[in-house]
Amino acid sequence: MLVRSPLLLGVLIAYPLLVAGLVGLVAGYGSSKPRVALVDEDHLPQVVSVGGHRFRIQDAIDEVGKNVHLVRMDPVEARHALATGRVVATLTVPPGFLADLKSGLHSPSLVYQVTRGGISSRVTQQVQALVYGLNRQLQTAYVQTDLKYVQLIVTGGRAEFGGRTYDVLGLARMEKLLQTLPPGPQRDRIAEFARIAGVALAQTGSLLGATANPIGLERAHEDSRSSLLSAQVQSYALALTITFLALLLAAGAIASERDENAIGRLRRGLISMGELVSAKVALAAVVALALGLAIALVFGVIVEAGGVAGGEPWQRLPLLAAGLLVAGAALGALGTLLGALARETRTASLVAVLVVMPIVFLGLVPREVVPVAGWLSDGLPFAHAVRYFSASLYDPSPWGAVARELLWLLGLGLLFGGLARLATRRLLA
Amino acid sequence: MSDAVLRARQVARHFGSQVALEPTGIEVRAGEALALIGPNGAGKSTLLALLAGALEPSAGTIERVDGVRVGWVPQRAAFYDRLTARENLELFGRLEGEPHYVGVAEELLVRFEIPADRPAHTLSVGNRQRLNVALALLGRPRVLLLDEPTAALDPGQRRRLWETVTALRDEGGSVVFATQNLEELELYADRVAVLQRGQLTFVGPTADYRELHAEEIFT
Repeated sequence: MLVRSPLLLGVLIAYPLLVAGLVGLVAGYGSSKPRVALVDEDHLPQVVSVGGHRFRIQDAIDEVGKNVHLVRMDPVEARHALATGRVVATLTVPPGFLADLKSGLHSPSLVYQVTRGGISSRVTQQVQALVYGLNRQLQTAYVQTDLKYVQLIVTGGRAEFGGRTYDVLGLARMEKLLQTLPPGPQRDRIAEFARIAGVALAQTGSLLGATANPIGLERAHEDSRSSLLSAQVQSYALALTITFLALLLAAGAIASERDENAIGRLRRGLISMGELVSAKVALAAVVALALGLAIALVFGVIVEAGGVAGGEPWQRLPLLAAGLLVAGAALGALGTLLGALARETRTASLVAVLVVMPIVFLGLVPREVVPVAGWLSDGLPFAHAVRYFSASLYDPSPWGAVARELLWLLGLGLLFGGLARLATRRLLA
Repeated sequence: MSDAVLRARQVARHFGSQVALEPTGIEVRAGEALALIGPNGAGKSTLLALLAGALEPSAGTIERVDGVRVGWVPQRAAFYDRLTARENLELFGRLEGEPHYVGVAEELLVRFEIPADRPAHTLSVGNRQRLNVALALLGRPRVLLLDEPTAALDPGQRRRLWETVTALRDEGGSVVFATQNLEELELYADRVAVLQRGQLTFVGPTADYRELHAEEIFT
């Protein structure tokens, strides 16, 4: 039979290879170094002197390069690379950065831009770690410089300010000088001040150190359930479940209507093709909503009962519900299209199951690893559903991401719904 | 459209490269029973599905007098298998715009002696065909299109079906039925249309048809 059906034979051979390839890509990206473009618009010199300390820029790049592959690019090249997925993020040093840093009057900022995708949160953490590390080094330099001035006030000596050299008396030398003056209450009062000031300033070193780093962070290794119940995992669980459900349900519904010949009776002016497709889309949306909310409630109960970190489905339930409804509808439209193309119930169910896995894996492959996977994934509802659920579950400011993904899901739903409407005409043949 | 309530104008249908019906013109008149006969694969079911609006023509047009409802009994039962007979009748009754669909469904269930509350897929072949016929009567159609309707019915149900069909015709309605049963043709048809290999080869009164050799048509 397979020999007589070369298409089926080809699909049977290609499908496991496709899934294996996608699994390999998903598994592989976890250990790969994401590329980040470094755009130096301030033309930083090789060595930067701040607060009397010299910093080698390359050392900072090497430090972050342990986890992220930092590539120098010009602004245009970086924008293009970000758009095409050749880099996952851009880190820009804006003009005037070094001048602001040296002046100490303004805190300069690095500009960071990151693509969407499963790897973006990891890269953001790396860049945050880079900025944190630089701040630590700068703080140390500033503290040491400040301490030198304090030491100068305490002990006295020669110092340079604004290109001129000064001989600073210092508290210790002031005390000695006071001894040479005629005794009296005023001299004693000044000598007492110099002594107390000297003692107080001697403590400044440790105080400045504590001010620079009020809270340290020490990473403790502990096995817990929190990673299993993180909002990210909840997002994938929700999206995966409704993808399976909505695709199978809608594909099976339209195909079984043809199998049972009910579609012919319906077609006789009882309902339009648009209504026929809309009914399947609505069914998938409602069932996705019900099942998704049930899953979110279960997660919520576990989170509450176990005191486990990650995800706050109670507070974001209405936002999540809207996403479940729209994602379910978009997936339902895709399922209806598959069912209309497959025509028979069994074939439709099989096709839906076969299609679900590549859709899911494409959503997991980061675009920065395989840009084509990102583009394909953008054309399917799964990745958008994951991003919507992630934002609605734990993003502190979810509205931008939620609005963007909602528009994507609505657009894809309309596209697949329209195609399903066209394909449904085939069912009447 | 003279006294024609339904008309096919040079209507044709093909499935891919396979021609199921050559361009065909035929009209269905008020108050008549028209029999469609021909060997298997001649295009009878295709023509009926086209007249019913269940299939779109590849060419030509189907014209229907405004306001005339058409009931369709396809050769293969057309309803939801997971719904009961009652649920199917009520659902399609609502879609047909039947104002008292619950009462009408009950009346049809009783008239055709259909088990009301069992899922349709558990019904016997005969009961499925009864439900198939009952569904065609929803919305009080003035034209009834039947595709070999008595093939799976017992003699009692056949009689009841023909009583319903002839009553509709006697009230000025129209009936088109495809059949392989020449006795039904003799008993109930006013006119006969013969289809062979997708082509209409004869249309005329039943009396004229008798002059042909039926055996030749079916060979």
